[in-house]
Parts: sequence; structure tokens; C-alpha cells
Amino acid sequence: MADLSVTLCGVTLKNPVIPASGTFGFGREFDEIYDISCLGGVATKGLTLEPRRGNPVPRIAERSGVILNAVGLQNPGVESFLEHDLAWLKGKTRVLANVAGRTVEEYGRICALLDGKADFIELNISCPNVKSGGMAFGIRPESILEVTRAAKSALKRTPLIVKLSPNVESIPRNAAAAEEGGADCISLVNTFTGMAIDIEKRRPILANNTGGVSGAGIKPIAVRMVYEAAHAVSIPVIGMGGIACAEDAVEFLMAGASAVQVGTANFTDTLACPKIIAGLNEWCDRHGVARVSELVGTLRLN
Amino acid sequence: MREVNAVVLENKRIAENVFSLTVSTDDEIPIRPGQFAMLGAGEHVLRRPIAVCKAEGERVTFCYQVKGAGTRYLSQNYRAGERIPVLLPLGNGFFVGERETRIAVVGGGVGVFPLISLIRACAGRKEIFSYMGFRNKAALCMEYEMQRSDKLTIATDDGSAGFHGTAVQAFMQDIEEIRPDAVFSCGPVPMLRALKNAVAGRGIPVYVSLEERMGCGVGACLVCVCDLTDGRHARVCKDGPVFEIGEVEL
Repeated sequence: MADLSVTLCGVTLKNPVIPASGTFGFGREFDEIYDISCLGGVATKGLTLEPRRGNPVPRIAERSGVILNAVGLQNPGVESFLEHDLAWLKGKTRVLANVAGRTVEEYGRICALLDGKADFIELNISCPNVKSGGMAFGIRPESILEVTRAAKSALKRTPLIVKLSPNVESIPRNAAAAEEGGADCISLVNTFTGMAIDIEKRRPILANNTGGVSGAGIKPIAVRMVYEAAHAVSIPVIGMGGIACAEDAVEFLMAGASAVQVGTANFTDTLACPKIIAGLNEWCDRHGVARVSELVGTLRLN
Repeated sequence: MREVNAVVLENKRIAENVFSLTVSTDDEIPIRPGQFAMLGAGEHVLRRPIAVCKAEGERVTFCYQVKGAGTRYLSQNYRAGERIPVLLPLGNGFFVGERETRIAVVGGGVGVFPLISLIRACAGRKEIFSYMGFRNKAALCMEYEMQRSDKLTIATDDGSAGFHGTAVQAFMQDIEEIRPDAVFSCGPVPMLRALKNAVAGRGIPVYVSLEERMGCGVGACLVCVCDLTDGRHARVCKDGPVFEIGEVEL
């Protein structure tokens, strides 16, 4: 029985497996299938200051090994989350409150509302599916620096994770900008902007035309980006992108991630996260690894 | 809802492009009429949402139309004895009130299959008037299940079997005579729209089951929303798939 616990920014998680934002709601639905207190944490659906309706349907499409989504940040707003969901979710596991603003000021305001309440803030500066905000802040290092500073100054007690977009020129530069802005941790990758076409109709499948690509097909790119980011900063990194089994999670840990998030795999198998946790334990036992944190960043290049 | 690694008992073609898949879950799972399941489709990332057509003890039957790569996979790859990942039961399902003793059931195309689960649940307890529409005779299937209704009218678009016209047209010919307490429907959106217009102002509650592309199937991902008439969104998988017809934009 390996020790699966990991400590991020002074907060201990019972294991490094966290369902990714947007795939798990606030945890209630999956808790009807299994007790989600087995998870290391939950990254919530992206929270905005006001409730958001999101995009028209279809919001999802499938291609080989991947899906595309364009939900567009539908959520009931941060106040509703604070009132109805946060206490329940905190009673289960660590809460990574994912935050999306339309302006720099708005990011600060949402963070202030959650400070001292959530276990972590995960700053969503990389949502590809909304017109204002979202990814607009996540592309250039200067804007990452600015929005990270604004969020950090609103947070007195809760550590700040900045979630990076892969649709950028330089992952190391953007990771360094987040660190310089005061991020306590970074997470990556969010989805890749893509398109899927219905060739009979000669139209994109998604009502939004483009959407975020996720799933097993993006994993090698995500592993490379996590490796690059982890070597560009001295703060911890949470890795994600196509993780579907324990072996996938081990790859990310070796590439330099201290914890991992699991998104699309929750749709293929609702028990993906508990299976990955059990698989990590078995993998560690089989390889004589006493503590899963020993694996972090142990990759040696050829 | 439960994750089950079910055993395929039978997976056979029952009409043009339509297959019937019967699986055995390990033990009996209570399923209400109109509920659905997410079926694993091999290497496909997403599971496919398919309505439960029949539930008899631990035997559950799904009928599906081969429409794209996922349903093609279901039709070609699951043979008797193989395992299939199934998440069920999902959604709210049909609810028939105590005082709704005469019910009309109006289905079109693959929309007839969830209605069969309703007919089976209500047979002998309610007076059931069913109107089931198909494109043509070749698409007609599961007639013996629909015959559990007190009165069954089959309709085909081309008149090759039964009433020449749509299920809604056949229903509207009878509505004054049968005076249903409630109507239950599932089918293509244009059909549901026609039904909504046809029964407008009659004060009869109409419940429709909707279809949408889904992600998780359990209400977490907010992919399969529909527009409510009050401006809000509802999740087809969790708040539905059955809605009162006046509650949703069609």
C-alpha cells in the first residue's frame, strides 16, 4: 500500500487525482455513482460573477480518440456555488474553485468572494469557448502576468493555481509569467481549439463552430507541455490532457506534475478516477515506490 | 444509477437500420419507463445514450438506429456473450399520474422505443391509445409490444402500412373520441412541434421525451441542454429527457 498523498502549496491531498473542471460539475452527480471523498480533490465547473447560459447546442462532437466541446461556461454563478455547493463539496474532498472573469477586475472580485473558503483557486484564463475573457487572458505572457497579479492581490489565504492554455506561442514563457505574477501553482493543459465538420451539411458540428479538443489523442502534446512548464518554474504543476488510466497519470508525474486532473475519461467511464487511484497504488507497489510523490519529475532524457 | 459490465444476450437487426440489443445486468436494477442508459462503444470516447425499451428482471433491451460511427460500432461489435459497459438508469422517465387513467401514446421513428417501456408499464392498469408512426412498412418493428395497448394505430408516411400519414394526424382524428387525460410522446422535433400545435388550448397535459448529443449522461457536463420557455436551460440527461411540452422550446 503506497502513500498516495501529495502536498500542493501546503495543502495535502489524499491522492494526486482530481476530476478536471467542466467534466464533473460540483461533484454531486458523480457522488450518486461513487463516494467522491475518495478523490484527491475536485476542480469545479468554471465560476463566473453572474450566472451564464452558455452556448447553443450541439455543444459536443467526437473524433478518433478525442472530443470537442463548446459549453461556453454555463454555470449558476459564484454566489450560488457559495450558497449551495461549496460546504457540501468541502465535506467530501479538496475544492479547486475554477474561476472565469470577463475583465481583470472581475477575476479579482470572484477570487475575493472565494478567498479562505475554497482550498485552491484555479484561474481559468484559457477557456476557448467564450468571446470575452477566457482565453483572451491566457495567450500573451503580459496579460497572464496582469490577471495573475489581480487575482493574487484578492487572495489572502487561498493558494492560486493558474490554468494555462496550450493554444500559445510559448508554454515556458507563459508559465514563467504566471509564476512572476504570484501564482502558487500552475495547471495545464486546457483544451486545444479545434473544429469538426459535418460533411453532409458542409457545416461545423458544434453550434459554436469551434470547440476545445480533449481526450486521449492530445496526451503526448500535453505531456510535452507539462514537461516544458515544469522546467520553467519552481512552483508545483498539475498536469492534464488525455489521462485515462494510472499509467497515463504516471507519465505526467514523471514529466514533472505533482498532481493530475482527469477530464474526458469521466465520460468514457464514470469510474475512471477511482480506477486511476487504485491503479496508481498498484503501480507503485509493483515498482517498489513507497510514496507516489517520489515519482514527480523523475524523467531522464535520452 | 450504476455502472454495470453487462453481458450481451442478443444484438439483432429488427428493421431497416434498426437493431435490438438485449443485455443481462448482474441483478435486477429498478428502471422507470422512459429512462435511458449510456452504452460503451469500444474505442469511441463518448458513450451513446439509448432509451430502455424493455426491462424484465435483469434483462434490459435497447433498440437503436444506426446513425453514425458509434451506433454502427454497437451494431457490429457486440455479439452474444460479450461484455458491454452500461451506465443506468438515467434521466427522469415518464410519470403517469394516479388520475390519468386514459393515456394517449404518440411516437415517431426511433421515438417509439422509449414509449414501448411506457406501454409495458401501463398495460392492464391504464387505458392506452397508441399512435405509432414510421417512414414506411420496412421501418415498422416491435408491433407485438405496441399491441399491449387497448387500441393501436400504426401510421406510415407513404401509406405502405396502416394509416397513411403521421402519428400526430392519426391521433388528432381520434382525440375527440378518446379524450385522453394525458399524452406521452417521443419522436423527431418537427413531430413534437406538430403535436404541440395540434393539442394547444385543449388543456391536456403532454409529456415529451427529448434527444440531444450528450457528454457524461449524468448531469455534470452541461453539454445536452435544452431551452426552457422561461429562458433557463435544462439538462436533457438529468432534468429530462421527459418534459411537459409547454415547458420546453421546440
